[in-house]
Amino acid sequence: MGGVDSAFSLGIPGGWPVAAGLALALGALAALGVARLRSEPKPGRRRLLAALRLGTAALAWVVAAQPTWRTPEYEESEGRLAVLVDRSRSMSLPRQGDARRARAEALLGRWAEDSGRAVAVYTFGDALAPAELSTLAQGIDARADESRLGASLARLLAEEDELGAVVVISDGADRSGFAIEGIETDGVRIHAVATAEDALRDDAVAEVSADPIGFLRRSAEVRVTVRSLGGPGGPIPVTLRRGDEVEREVVADVPPDGEAEVRIQFTPRQLGRAVYRVSIPRSTDDAVPENNERAFLVRVTRDKLRVLLVAGQPSWDQRFLRAFLKRDPATDLISFFILRNTTDMTMAGPDELALIPFPTDELFNEHLGSFDLVVFQNFEYGPYQMASYLPRIRDYVVRGGSFAMIGGPLSFHSGGYPDTPIAEILPVELPPSSAAPSSVVAEGDFAPRIVAGMEHHPLLELVPGPARNAEAWSRLADLSGINVVTRTRPGTATLLEHPSVTLAGGAPHPVLVLGTAGEGRTLALTTDTTWRWGITTGGETGDASAYERFWDRAIRWLSRDPTLEPARLTTDRERYGPGSSARVDATLRDARYAPYAEQGVAIVLDDASGQELDRREVETDRDGRVSTQLTVPGRPGAYRVRARLGARDEPIAEEWLVVEAGGDELADPRPDLARLEGLAARSGGTFVARPEDSPELSAFDTSRRRSLGTRERAPFTGPLGFGLVVGLFAVEWLLRRRWGHR
Amino acid sequence: MPGERTFRPSVEATAITLAAGLLAAALAPTAAHALGESTRFAVRSVLYDGGDPRPRESAPRRLGWEVRKRTSIDVHPDPGGARLDDPAIFDNPFLYWSGDEAFDPLSEAELAGLRRFVRFGGFVLIDDASPAQSGFDRSIRRELGRAFAGRPLRPLANTHTVFRSFYLLTRPEGRVRGPEQLSAIEVGDRVAVLYSRHDLGGAWARDNLGSWEHPVAPGGDEQRERAIRLGVNIVMYALCLDYKDDQVHAPFIMRRRGGGP
Repeated sequence: MGGVDSAFSLGIPGGWPVAAGLALALGALAALGVARLRSEPKPGRRRLLAALRLGTAALAWVVAAQPTWRTPEYEESEGRLAVLVDRSRSMSLPRQGDARRARAEALLGRWAEDSGRAVAVYTFGDALAPAELSTLAQGIDARADESRLGASLARLLAEEDELGAVVVISDGADRSGFAIEGIETDGVRIHAVATAEDALRDDAVAEVSADPIGFLRRSAEVRVTVRSLGGPGGPIPVTLRRGDEVEREVVADVPPDGEAEVRIQFTPRQLGRAVYRVSIPRSTDDAVPENNERAFLVRVTRDKLRVLLVAGQPSWDQRFLRAFLKRDPATDLISFFILRNTTDMTMAGPDELALIPFPTDELFNEHLGSFDLVVFQNFEYGPYQMASYLPRIRDYVVRGGSFAMIGGPLSFHSGGYPDTPIAEILPVELPPSSAAPSSVVAEGDFAPRIVAGMEHHPLLELVPGPARNAEAWSRLADLSGINVVTRTRPGTATLLEHPSVTLAGGAPHPVLVLGTAGEGRTLALTTDTTWRWGITTGGETGDASAYERFWDRAIRWLSRDPTLEPARLTTDRERYGPGSSARVDATLRDARYAPYAEQGVAIVLDDASGQELDRREVETDRDGRVSTQLTVPGRPGAYRVRARLGARDEPIAEEWLVVEAGGDELADPRPDLARLEGLAARSGGTFVARPEDSPELSAFDTSRRRSLGTRERAPFTGPLGFGLVVGLFAVEWLLRRRWGHR
Repeated sequence: MPGERTFRPSVEATAITLAAGLLAAALAPTAAHALGESTRFAVRSVLYDGGDPRPRESAPRRLGWEVRKRTSIDVHPDPGGARLDDPAIFDNPFLYWSGDEAFDPLSEAELAGLRRFVRFGGFVLIDDASPAQSGFDRSIRRELGRAFAGRPLRPLANTHTVFRSFYLLTRPEGRVRGPEQLSAIEVGDRVAVLYSRHDLGGAWARDNLGSWEHPVAPGGDEQRERAIRLGVNIVMYALCLDYKDDQVHAPFIMRRRGGGP
């Protein structure tokens, strides 16, 4: 145990400024008292009284200022030694000459022959793992796709007891962003043996940065950083490819031993996932040819959601929905309203009217496929010779389009849809064609009820939080009237139901039903009064936002907004190195957004042709969540991760990832000696610049200097100091009285 | 009166309309069974104190009748009236505010109701039934100033969608020819308050026997027809907003206005 330099401070509140003020005040008081002693004729008495006065003042200051000495104390003891070896892919560099890994293996071999002391051995890459010295000496498996030195060291320090020192063998190239400087070693010495070469000749695509979402036929941009190490620099051609097809070629003017950024414009031409590759030529002396190419994924969507809204007559329901969709900058709305029927008497010739023919063929033949969503709002197809287009609309939905039918006097059965192709895709079944008109609607105001178990469906989430959301629903204005249906189709989800109208079997009549038809999504809303959730609710409560929130979520659900998908997969990264490990997290819920709780699922990795490359059988937790690791293949390219459920192996969610030859790990092949050197210096360890210069293991200092805390001494605090002040003052007072002073 | 013309629907137009009606009989829409009264459009009158809120009592009903006859809009036959502080105004987002003389200042509750009605999407048609007098005009401007400070009434160009939302019109007209333009208060990109000093209701009003209640000058029946068409257009605008500004309508409308191929 030992101590070093002590630190001095004053304990008085306010510190030195207050102490200085107090000193001045006490000094002035003492001086005043001394000045009054001039009447004392005897010099001895005068000097004694003055001394007592000054001493009292000085002691009072010391007691008040509370001088304090703090001394840190340590315990030094011998601890165990651990060796931490880098097994990231950068250790396999350079490709020409001695690789970092080979030099580390030679050193480990030397230590293995002379391991006279117990030593714990670990490797790190993307994670910390125990190892054997002799095994590592025979060959370091340098395939880890990350160099998480900081995180691994922190974990080792936390998990290993009685450590005295850690010897790190690494190139120091931790690009994970971990703040290695902030690691608390608690007295454990970190010695660092750097495995680095004097110079590296490498051209690299150091970084590519592009928006993960691109828009069909809209120009996009990727920013590419090209780096040249140890070379003369100059123009380096940069090529952007989609698949094997060259999209663009530009030239980066790279300074010697420096880097340059180029911006490459490209235009996605197909919807869906697209893999782009950026590459530069390989020179013969390139130390890391793998990093001459990088890849990135773009999810290509339409820049705007294209919605076709067809309304059978102007109404408040149509008016508020159109106003909402027109205001939404992410929506491209094409709407057609039937403003007059063939029986209406306009009292005007065609040239006096601003009416146009209903372009059925253009909409439902030529351009149907360009829409993401078709909405029939209180629309009767019969008078417009549309029967021949209904199969096309059904097929459009089955192929992946979305369709919504909104109620009204011209909708559902009243729109003539029984026994039509539209009835096949609706999530509800309609009364037979022969049903009486009066039996296919139900009048009367009602407050729709959220179906039990659907409270968490995102479409119904008007505000965050179940309690607040329930309150928001309770404040909505009543709706009025519904189109009657006979039942919901199997596999659909009823979100809202009528509180009093029932189906034939006694079940509550549905108001809002979601379903699927083939690849497409469908929605049936059996009322035409949701507009009342806007102005009517707004008039009653002052907040009219519920209407737009409801329709925003409905449109997003219909258009498959990824954030509203019930089953989702995410990977910890988008790009991986060959053979590395990908962490996959899944949240799996059914169409009702009920979790697939405690169910067996397979997380599968497929290549682009659908061939299965890896598979993990796992079980979800109670919330339908599961995590697992997949091993990505060695061949660069795009791969699909899928969650497959149950005996039918049905895919319920998917995500894509990219395998790069180089990846982030090799994008910057330079070692980081300064990081290693700083780590050693801060912890009292030694830094060895080359493995060949490293001493034997036994030579590393494993004495741990552990802090025991701080000892604090404040001798003048407490009753003793105070008593001394009072005592001195009392003596002076008595003498003054005795000798005739006041 | 010199220059006055009698409205006479062209034989051609009438023939076309009737023929179209007959041919369409087989294709006529199903007799729609409305889901309830609240789903129907209603020309509801604004009631207020001091002054006559219904100087053309039959006008709202007659406008509704014309809208129902000429368009596909489903109209409530008996719209009634409501005060601006009555929550019932939020059940039907169209209000017809008429008068022919000065009226009392609105209460704070009425002003709050008017503001909220407009803010949340309602449409107000204001019709001065006595444009030759200034009483109603002064009161209306006073109340609109109180309710929408900073958003004054502005002239509405005769190229606005209101003039092509159903019929193609060139200017506003009512019982009187009146000012060249309507005035409006816009909220966002929509007209929320439309003010006419043409006595539109005077041109629409008809007694139970079908006789027009007020003569229309100077244009006679042609002007009356244009006033009815403007009423239809206003209702159509309230329900469809700028639908007729959609790109798909532009070439048709330009051609009919003589401005394009």
